[in-house]
Amino acid sequence: MAEPATKKMNMIEAINSALDVMLAKDPEVVIMGEDVGYFGGVFRATAGLQAKHGKTRVFDTPISECGIIGVGVGMAAYGLRPVPEIQFADYIYPGLDQLVSEAARLRYRSANDFTCPMTVRSPFGGGIFGGQTHSQSPESLFTHVCGIKTVIPATPYDAKGLLIAAIEDNDPVVFFEPKRIYNGPFTGYYDRPVEPWSKHAGSDVPEGHYRINLGEAAVVREGEAVTVLTYGTMVHVVKAVVADQGFDAEIIDLRTLLPLDIATIEASVKKTGRCMVVHEATRTSGFGAELAAQVQEPASII
Amino acid sequence: MPKFTFNLPDIGEGIAEAEIVAWHVKVGDMISEDQPLADMMTDKATVEMESPVSGVITKVAGEAGDVIAIGAMLVEIEVAGDVGNQAPAAAEAADADMLAAVVADENPYAPEPVAVAAATPAPAAPVPAQSPAPSAHATEKVMASPAVRQRAKALGVDLTDVKAAGGHIRHADLDAFLNYGASKGYQPAHTKLPRADEAVKVIGMRRRIADNMAASKRHIPHFTYVEEIDVTAIEAMRADLNANRGTKPKVTLLPMLIVAICKTMPQFPMMNARFDDEAGIVTRHGSVHLGMATQTDSGLMVPVIRDAQDRNIWQLAAEITRLAEAARNGSVKSEELSGSTLTITSLGPLGGIATTPVINRPEVAIIGPNKIVERPMFVGDSIEARKLMNLSISCDHRVVDGWDAASYVQALKKLIETPVLLFAD
Amino acid sequence: MAHAPKDNHAPLHLHIPEPKFRPGDVADFSDIIVPEVDANPRPDEHVAPANIHALAYGLVRVLGDDHQPSGSWNPNLDVDTLRVMLRKMLLLRAFDDRMFRAQRQGKTSFYMKSFGEEATSVATTMALHSDDMCFPSYRQQGILITRDYPLVDMMNQIYSNRGDRLKGRQLPIMYSAKEYGFFSISGNLTTQYPQAVGWAMASASRADTRISAVWCGDGSTAEGDFHSALTFAAVYNAPVIFQVVNNQWAISSFSGFAGSERTTFAARAIGYGIAGLRVDGNDALAVYAAMQWAANRARNNGGPTLIEYFTYRGEGHSTSDDPGAYRAAEEYALWPLGDPVTRLKEHLIAIGAWTDAQHESLIIELSVQVKAVQKEAEQNGILGHGLHHPFETMFEDVFEEMPWHLKEQCAQMLEEQKDKFGPEWEAR
Repeated sequence: MAEPATKKMNMIEAINSALDVMLAKDPEVVIMGEDVGYFGGVFRATAGLQAKHGKTRVFDTPISECGIIGVGVGMAAYGLRPVPEIQFADYIYPGLDQLVSEAARLRYRSANDFTCPMTVRSPFGGGIFGGQTHSQSPESLFTHVCGIKTVIPATPYDAKGLLIAAIEDNDPVVFFEPKRIYNGPFTGYYDRPVEPWSKHAGSDVPEGHYRINLGEAAVVREGEAVTVLTYGTMVHVVKAVVADQGFDAEIIDLRTLLPLDIATIEASVKKTGRCMVVHEATRTSGFGAELAAQVQEPASII
Repeated sequence: MPKFTFNLPDIGEGIAEAEIVAWHVKVGDMISEDQPLADMMTDKATVEMESPVSGVITKVAGEAGDVIAIGAMLVEIEVAGDVGNQAPAAAEAADADMLAAVVADENPYAPEPVAVAAATPAPAAPVPAQSPAPSAHATEKVMASPAVRQRAKALGVDLTDVKAAGGHIRHADLDAFLNYGASKGYQPAHTKLPRADEAVKVIGMRRRIADNMAASKRHIPHFTYVEEIDVTAIEAMRADLNANRGTKPKVTLLPMLIVAICKTMPQFPMMNARFDDEAGIVTRHGSVHLGMATQTDSGLMVPVIRDAQDRNIWQLAAEITRLAEAARNGSVKSEELSGSTLTITSLGPLGGIATTPVINRPEVAIIGPNKIVERPMFVGDSIEARKLMNLSISCDHRVVDGWDAASYVQALKKLIETPVLLFAD
Repeated sequence: MAHAPKDNHAPLHLHIPEPKFRPGDVADFSDIIVPEVDANPRPDEHVAPANIHALAYGLVRVLGDDHQPSGSWNPNLDVDTLRVMLRKMLLLRAFDDRMFRAQRQGKTSFYMKSFGEEATSVATTMALHSDDMCFPSYRQQGILITRDYPLVDMMNQIYSNRGDRLKGRQLPIMYSAKEYGFFSISGNLTTQYPQAVGWAMASASRADTRISAVWCGDGSTAEGDFHSALTFAAVYNAPVIFQVVNNQWAISSFSGFAGSERTTFAARAIGYGIAGLRVDGNDALAVYAAMQWAANRARNNGGPTLIEYFTYRGEGHSTSDDPGAYRAAEEYALWPLGDPVTRLKEHLIAIGAWTDAQHESLIIELSVQVKAVQKEAEQNGILGHGLHHPFETMFEDVFEEMPWHLKEQCAQMLEEQKDKFGPEWEAR
């Protein structure tokens, strides 16, 4: 088979491409959210999709996160694959009951009678001078909930492949997009010029359909001295620090927080004998605590 | 025949125990499915438990007033199996067997009991888990020789009933028991048995009263204030009213006192109140729902005169009579026993010279009129026979000050001593 | 600290609603206005919502005091349909009675009766198509009964036994039956409202012909989901029927705590610009007629309708509740709109299609039928007595495929059970 055509894309373009591919491939996919229709989203993730796929496939919604996610659950129960956008992860909380009590539990509580193949996309994380209301990292609220998968990509290539896999998944997925790296990887040096995605290997994105399976981490740098577990924007910060400091770290981009790729983590920590966790979320009761527990629990690692 | 143990289920989502309010069955009763077993009271509700099977009651958990843990046996029922004519239809009996087997199965992880029940030809081996529980007696250790035991057994005597001179029961002790009868042991002739101590179980209503009184005294710092009131004028007025009452009920001092209480209340809202001390909120009530402490055969009850401020003397008199009667003959409704905002307690001719009444929590005050006595008093320079009555009031010092209580009683005193003011608006 | 008074204003005071009657009171409902039959005639199903505001404050009625139907709302049902309606309502009542007793007999932990509200789930369902999607709250078991869902499956769920289709995961009565157009009941109130809108939007976007209907109580109209749902439905003109079963009580809180002192629940529709009907919920024919009107409207792209059924919760909220502790006794007997079953029965008798004797024998027949089904269900076990789904199923269906961490946790549980209960457990 011929190598599929690839194109340089930033993260926004990769996400847009994933949505475009899925809208074309699966007639049950619908996209909705505040400002996602005619305008194409405040971060432009859905630009052009309404014009191409029609208003009943891509449309604006009232400003009601509870309504957006609740309506999504109903659409999924009908048999659609809704992909709602919550404009900022900071605003997802009015929809939390619909996500936690409804989307996440539907398959379980109805014993497979009803399911909820819905992917909630939302920009998250800091670094854009957004203050407390445009900067939060609430991922551990979702990894704690049984029945939701939580995915966080760190490159355009991963973003597209993971988003396609999330939409095709038959369970609800919370897909958090690190908005700091929508347009270029962030190295942690805010005083240096922004590096565009085009100079990064992860920006070579196939134009067609491909999947990166949920639950599979990526070893982004092999090393012997220490294992660093990270995800999202921090993948690039860790890479920059490791390069600057010159130590031989093995960097793992988790990509999917739940279900976690424990096999990759276990193999790496066994090899290096040391482990470090880097994330930008609140430390207390954060996902790092779960990672720390996971690497210390099995007798096989320590 | 299989025995079915009806364990007290959790009847209110997360209840730990329930009190037996009343039994609808006793040991030996033949009952049918759905028949009421007992009324059980939880802190949420009183509910009637029903039997899931038909059969004969062989054991009950206790008596009214006992508190039963959720999951403990409430009754044991011998399920009708091959009893002829009065037994339920065979199919139903089989179902009951199945249910009995299911319920008797204590281990939730055990293999499916249906197969067990079907495979066991019941009569030869009664369900082992359900063998009759040993009596309380049999569990007590008795010291006796095998010969004494055998003789007692042959005679049908339970050795735990026999008093022994030493620790060991001998033939002589058994003889004494047989000669002098029952469990009293040896008694010298012509001695009067002392009146036995009597243990009275504090249950039901008595227990409610006990709990409420203890809680009131435990939580509320009471103070009591007593004042003497000249009731000569109001008594004269009462006599006039009664002389002209026609077919109306006879008026006692109580309704007149209630009119006075209601009339003074707008100036003393702190007295007609309920104090939720957990929330730290005193609710001063706009209406006077007057509790009326009433002695009944089963103890103290407090029926409530609703909206006393809206009733005239005649209506109050009629309501007092009706409620007191209802409380005494047991027809009072539970709604009529709650919601009071202030209580009055009167012992009438037994009223004494002063009382220190206990507040009906969560109210903040209780008023106790004492006995009316006729005494010589100075009126100006002369000595006259006057009718005098002491009025006691206890208040919750956390939310009512002594000054308030005194001012309130003085206002009451003024109204009662000048009764024409009672009817002046 | 309170501020010192300013100007000449009286101090503010906070209004805490209080029901008119409490234990000890004799309820007096003479202030409830029961309009004449047809006081607000049936409008065309395509009417603009702005032109029917009066219907949101009135009361749609069909059966008069003489038990005869009249007026423009009369659905003119044939006698067979009326008899089916009565039978379903009586079956629901028999089922409720049997399951309430089962709780009192320790066979289940919880039950909720629909006594007094039977018409709002039976007559409504009869006015829908059988493939329309119902999003119930917790007191609409009448939908399943009307659609002939097997009673034994309902009981298996209530008993959480090995026959329970939901594998013991749901509180008793929280059924799910996709095949019967019955959405999985949630304990979180009114979450089904936006879901019903989403389902209806999906149906409309797929040029389907099916509509959705959703129920909630008066109390839970206060949830944000209710208002999100009405907004979305109005925005997208979704083919959905919102129903508020106003039974006056949310456990111990009267409807005033959901705003009934200020306006009707049907009038909530006016602010959203959708059709609103207020209906005598104890008049099965009026309930049917209102649902039929709303269903026709939705099916013809006329958009959503909000229907308030004005009714009364005849008994406690659930087996855990004792209404004697907070509301006046005998309220139900004094309710000015009567009992829905009795009124339908009297109607059938009045038109010569039913007799008291037939009624009594039907009650007995249904009670025997329900009891027989109960015996069948009990063959699968009752709550807490061994016959349930295997414990490891507790970890299933969280996701389509069980991820490693749940497999690990499940294995750990089984291991601990083996340690505790020995090799017999393992052998099993």
